[in-house]
Amino acid sequence: MMLTHFEAMLLFAFLVSVAFGCLTRKTAAERVKSTAVAFGLFVFVSVAIGWLMYPFSR
Amino acid sequence: MTEADANPIEQPVPGIALVAVAAAWLVPGLGHLILRRWGRAMIFFFCVGALAVTGLLLRGNVFSLHSADAFDFLGYLADLGSGMFFFIAKAVERTGPDVSRAAGDYGTRFLAAAGVINVLCVFDAYEIGCGIKN
Repeated sequence: MMLTHFEAMLLFAFLVSVAFGCLTRKTAAERVKSTAVAFGLFVFVSVAIGWLMYPFSR
Repeated sequence: MTEADANPIEQPVPGIALVAVAAAWLVPGLGHLILRRWGRAMIFFFCVGALAVTGLLLRGNVFSLHSADAFDFLGYLADLGSGMFFFIAKAVERTGPDVSRAAGDYGTRFLAAAGVINVLCVFDAYEIGCGIKN
């Protein structure tokens, strides 16, 4: 199976966010919102850490 | 209307929590299915299954009980959490892990995440079975 690093991160973030959203919230609307927020934070923090590490990568 | 409102279990049935816990560990989502939480059951099965299958396809490391060090043993415990997916991964993993590439290392994390999330689902099923949570 071939996935780029970014695709693997997106897939991981999506699946974990959905599971966390369903575990921690009661209503469907709250779950969707929680999933979206968690997914966005996963992606944002991952990209931010990537850029923070960029100066040390070479 | 929440899922629990649609399918209420008014009084917790004695022993159902333990049955749900065992079922939830063995087959992700089955515990919630027993407790009549259809939506959550499908979502948990999909999430845990997708993580485990992706981890396996990325050729992640499926740890065994007889591991070299303590961290490998922790990895084994995390993998074991995914229940049937752990045993399936063990059975179908013929070529072994390939952690020499980043993808293989990601696969190891996917497999561990599947197990840890399923353990959280087991706790959730226990709380629902005991009547602590809807």
